Amino acid sequence: MTFRQFAINNVIRNKRLYAAYFLSSLFTVMVFFTFAIFAFHPAFFDGSIRGEILYGMTIAGGVIYVFSFFFVLYSMSSFLQSRKKEFGLLMMQGMSTRQIRLMVFMENMLIGFFATLGGILFGLVFAKAILLFAENVLIIDESLHFYFPLMAIIVTFVSFIILFLFISLFVSFILRTRKLVDLIKADKQSKGEPKASIALAIIAVVLLASGYATALYVKGPLVVMAMLPVIVVVVIGTYLLFTQLSVYVIRQLKERKGVFWRKTNMVLFSDLSFRMKDNARTFFMVAIISTVAFSAIGSLYGFQSFFMRGIDEANPFSFEYTSSADAKEEDMQKEVRFIEKALDKHEIKGDSSVIDKTYFSQNDGEVMITSETSYNRFADLLGENRVRIDDDEAVVITDSSKVMAPGSKVDRLMDSPVKLRDGTTIKPDRMLDEHVLPEMYSYYVISDTMYEKLPEPASVETTRVWAADEGQEDALVQAGEEIFDVIGGYNFAAIDYTIYQVNKVYGPILFIGLFIGIVFFVSAGSFLYFRLYTDLNQDKEKFRMIAKMGLTNKELKKVINRQTALLFFAPIVVALVHGAVALTALSHMFDYTLINESAMVLGTFTVIQIIYFLIVRHFYTKQIRRAVY
Amino acid sequence: MLEVKNVSKVYEGKVTYRALSNIDLEIEKGDFVAIMGPSGSGKTTLLNMVATIDEPTTGEVLIEAKNPHTLNQNDLAKFRRRELGFVFQEFNLLHTLTVEENMVLPLTLDGKRVKEMKQRANAIAEKLGIAEIMSKRTHEISGGQAQRAAIARAMIHQPKLLLADEPTGNLDSKASKDVMSMLETLNKKEETTMMLVTHDPQAASYADRVVFIRDGKFYSEIHRGESRQTFFQSIIDTLSLMGGDDSDFSSIRD
Repeated sequence: MTFRQFAINNVIRNKRLYAAYFLSSLFTVMVFFTFAIFAFHPAFFDGSIRGEILYGMTIAGGVIYVFSFFFVLYSMSSFLQSRKKEFGLLMMQGMSTRQIRLMVFMENMLIGFFATLGGILFGLVFAKAILLFAENVLIIDESLHFYFPLMAIIVTFVSFIILFLFISLFVSFILRTRKLVDLIKADKQSKGEPKASIALAIIAVVLLASGYATALYVKGPLVVMAMLPVIVVVVIGTYLLFTQLSVYVIRQLKERKGVFWRKTNMVLFSDLSFRMKDNARTFFMVAIISTVAFSAIGSLYGFQSFFMRGIDEANPFSFEYTSSADAKEEDMQKEVRFIEKALDKHEIKGDSSVIDKTYFSQNDGEVMITSETSYNRFADLLGENRVRIDDDEAVVITDSSKVMAPGSKVDRLMDSPVKLRDGTTIKPDRMLDEHVLPEMYSYYVISDTMYEKLPEPASVETTRVWAADEGQEDALVQAGEEIFDVIGGYNFAAIDYTIYQVNKVYGPILFIGLFIGIVFFVSAGSFLYFRLYTDLNQDKEKFRMIAKMGLTNKELKKVINRQTALLFFAPIVVALVHGAVALTALSHMFDYTLINESAMVLGTFTVIQIIYFLIVRHFYTKQIRRAVY
Repeated sequence: MLEVKNVSKVYEGKVTYRALSNIDLEIEKGDFVAIMGPSGSGKTTLLNMVATIDEPTTGEVLIEAKNPHTLNQNDLAKFRRRELGFVFQEFNLLHTLTVEENMVLPLTLDGKRVKEMKQRANAIAEKLGIAEIMSKRTHEISGGQAQRAAIARAMIHQPKLLLADEPTGNLDSKASKDVMSMLETLNKKEETTMMLVTHDPQAASYADRVVFIRDGKFYSEIHRGESRQTFFQSIIDTLSLMGGDDSDFSSIRD
């Protein structure tokens, strides 16, 4: 047996021990590779995709690569931790430190090589699925057909062999073998209870509270300025929360015999306080990574809904054609005829209507005033509520939310009365939040009789609208594109086509964001998994011992359940709170409520985490029970 | 109080191994019985059977005329922590707990009141002379102290039967003597029934009766008379008789 054979057999005949580390490396390679399959798709290189998106994807690939590096490094070091005793045994047989390093290096290269191959193979299996998924999220004209991703394979293989080479070198150099006796007794050593200082615990609370308060308090553009300091403060606060405050709280709980000495609490808490030193770092990392994932996905999703809502509200109709006062009558006729023809061609059914939008000067600007009849005609067209207006009242219809002007017109309109020709005025008495007329800013609606008594309008625009029936989106997009190409976007708006175009640009960003968010989230889960399994042997030993004294199945389950639940949910709950605060701050920046979007994103992650928890708990309990009974 | 009736244990596997065959043993209330035998003789298997950690293949174990092996897993766990006390060679104290907390662990699992637990812990610590180390952690105390703490844990719920598996195996001779005489005192004063499995003739000599088994079979049994010293001598004699084959003896005579 040569030394190389020894190192290789050591891995191959010990599959179970290496499985967790191997699988996590394989997973990392797979993630990178699926992303590469997508990024190197030939459809992106024929020039139809914009340069910024390719740039964005390169950055995203880089982020995933750097992240993979740290992820593999972390899994490797936690894996080596659990092998101290083995190293001790080998050294006792006379293995030199250099040989141990060589062995670790060879083992790692072996695992790395097969993880890279395996990751690429698995990635190929999922390639079609990821391409289908990407096709649906992205709006791409040509479909992303399956192809043999030679380029992606080469890039992934080379990058990860380099990655594993560096990590193997790095780890084998920093591998501290220390004293032989420490290694052999590694699992018998008591790590000692971590200490917590009250001052630092208080600082943790203060930092978190002030960070949150600032994030929730600032509004508008101030949010951007406050962002960096708040992030720094909250990150430090989170670190102290796990390393100091939690230890302090657990110690306080241990002092209270009424709580600590109750049933299985003693087994649970004592372990918790001892593992807190190791746990704290994992918790901190998982909390921060998850927060990044939540906030990134939440804000991308929030932005999308924000834009879409704005577009929807500003354009209640499928098509709008506006002509300015100085346009020639015949041009207008020609263009309207063209639009009608395009609609016929695509067999789009719907109603159309015309309105003369009359603008009157008021204060320094112009504001639209319209009659009850005109308003109701359009309300009928859209199936919205009609209004009833008496002669002595005026209704203000508010801005669409797309208008982000500070101190928007609404307030001014409510305060200033509508002036009639004979000098009398009507005071507005109601405000409605409706999106009926094709007008972005707020306007007045008054009764028909009063409308007759208005002075000459300052300007008039004629707008023709078409409201298509539901369920013809594809035809609307095509018709919109045709008309748009001929008439242009100056006085023509086709809402479905606009949304289509926005999605086309936004889709890839959303996809990349989602992808990275999910990678972060999943790896946060893996960190927790590693943490749990590093302690598996200790736990087996402990429960075996208590079970000899008499521990019922139910009690065992209860302890494991709480122990795992704390591990899985403590960092995630913190991340959820962080994420919720971050998304609230974001919504303050735009003055647009993101409650539904945040609830959906955070809710989805919570559900995934719960499912993940249930699965891991099932297997962990099974392992412990097998060892105990 | 304890009856082991015709118990056999067979481990199925690639090679079927018969660890115990047709063992009979009876222990009266207040008895202190030591089980001795060479390595692999099946003494720990027997103890595990009585401790309900392992199940006999045939035969039955009765504790106070009840067969605990018919209980389901949960009731069995409760039975163990209420009726039995355990002392192990490697102490088996949880290193994350203090001595006092380790002692009250069986009681907390049973949901006893804190005041009662404190009281019992203090009373027993006083008796075993570990009152000063109650708040120490397990790595801060000596082996003898750790084993005394483990005995305190095994005794705190006043079990019907105390089972000890090589309690002196990890201790020096002074600590061994301390621990054994403490067990003897507990047996005499509290009338706790005790079953001890050991290699160590010195430790076995504290018992009232020593049962020898070899290769899973009953070999012989000796009772203690007045003097512990003579009892120790006869244990040694039995061991040397049991230890070798007949040819060994002839070679000594040569």
